[in-house]
Amino acid sequence: MKKRILTRFTAIMFIIGLMAAIQYNTINEPDLRDTRDEWEIRQELSREKQLHSQLLSEIGSLDETLDKYRAAADASPEQALRETAGELRKSAGLSEAKGPGIEVLVEPSLEAVAMGLEIEGISPDLLIRLVNEINRYNGLYVSIDGKRIINTTAIRDINGQTAVNTKPVDTPPFSIKIISESMEDSEKLYNHLLASRILDDFYIDNLTLNVSEPQYELIIEAYDGTVDTKYLQASEGE
Amino acid sequence: MWLSILGLILGISLGLLTDIQIPPEYANYLSIAVLASLDTLFGGIRAHLQQVYDDKVFVSGFFFNIVLAAGLAFLGVHLGVDLYLAAIFAFGVRLFQNIAVIRRIILAKWAEKKEVRGTI
Repeated sequence: MKKRILTRFTAIMFIIGLMAAIQYNTINEPDLRDTRDEWEIRQELSREKQLHSQLLSEIGSLDETLDKYRAAADASPEQALRETAGELRKSAGLSEAKGPGIEVLVEPSLEAVAMGLEIEGISPDLLIRLVNEINRYNGLYVSIDGKRIINTTAIRDINGQTAVNTKPVDTPPFSIKIISESMEDSEKLYNHLLASRILDDFYIDNLTLNVSEPQYELIIEAYDGTVDTKYLQASEGE
Repeated sequence: MWLSILGLILGISLGLLTDIQIPPEYANYLSIAVLASLDTLFGGIRAHLQQVYDDKVFVSGFFFNIVLAAGLAFLGVHLGVDLYLAAIFAFGVRLFQNIAVIRRIILAKWAEKKEVRGTI
């Protein structure tokens, strides 16, 4: 009798142990393994390197400014400040920009004209996609139909019309000007836009993108509104 | 007694070494099943110590409790009520009670033995 009880107990204990162990296995899943192959790690590395070089160049330009201040400190501090203010205004989009770039003409597609379809304005979504695409490929300064894109620019639908900086964009044709850092970047952007899938997206809306060859000197007008800095706060510094 | 502990160790090592895993969504059921089986086990030990142990009650209780608890949890998931908490509560309370009774019986036995030794 006692032996039988013992066997039962042993069997039950065995089952309990097994269940507890399985539960333990399930709860303590092994950490996610790094399954990236060499190529993915290389890509990650190259991304980080790019960031590194970008930061280095930023540090370089800031050092330059600092040197300029030091050199001009006794000569004319006002001049140095003016220069810095000018640079800041330029990067904020408040002054005219000049440089190598391309011009993109947005036109109604030939088919739409031939079929006699009514030409509708460009949709804000499509325009935002285009601007994102441009930004992705080193577009530095952009203006759409004479409206300069700055950091706070909103591209949106206002009463059924697509507006940039709250000013309505013409129905196509209109032009988009893009300035890049260098001629090389402009060429890259040019080639990218020619091969981009965004052309198809424009074609769906009965529009075509006519990308001009890169030009050495393109002028983009300044932002003509006032920049609202109501919610800006001075940074604490380092 | 040592044999049953050996069984427990065997079960644990078998589970750990074979690295069996169940889908995480069933982990709830298994945890309740473990609790139910522990409850039955301690119930059995108590019954044995109180001399009321019945083989059929023990074995049927073991499987029935597991199935009932898992079924309750399953029903709870489908009704949107955390019914498995009821099972956890019931088994938890019973577990503590059983262990308390076992402790008392063992203490009483120990004291008795000591007394017997003292009289000799």
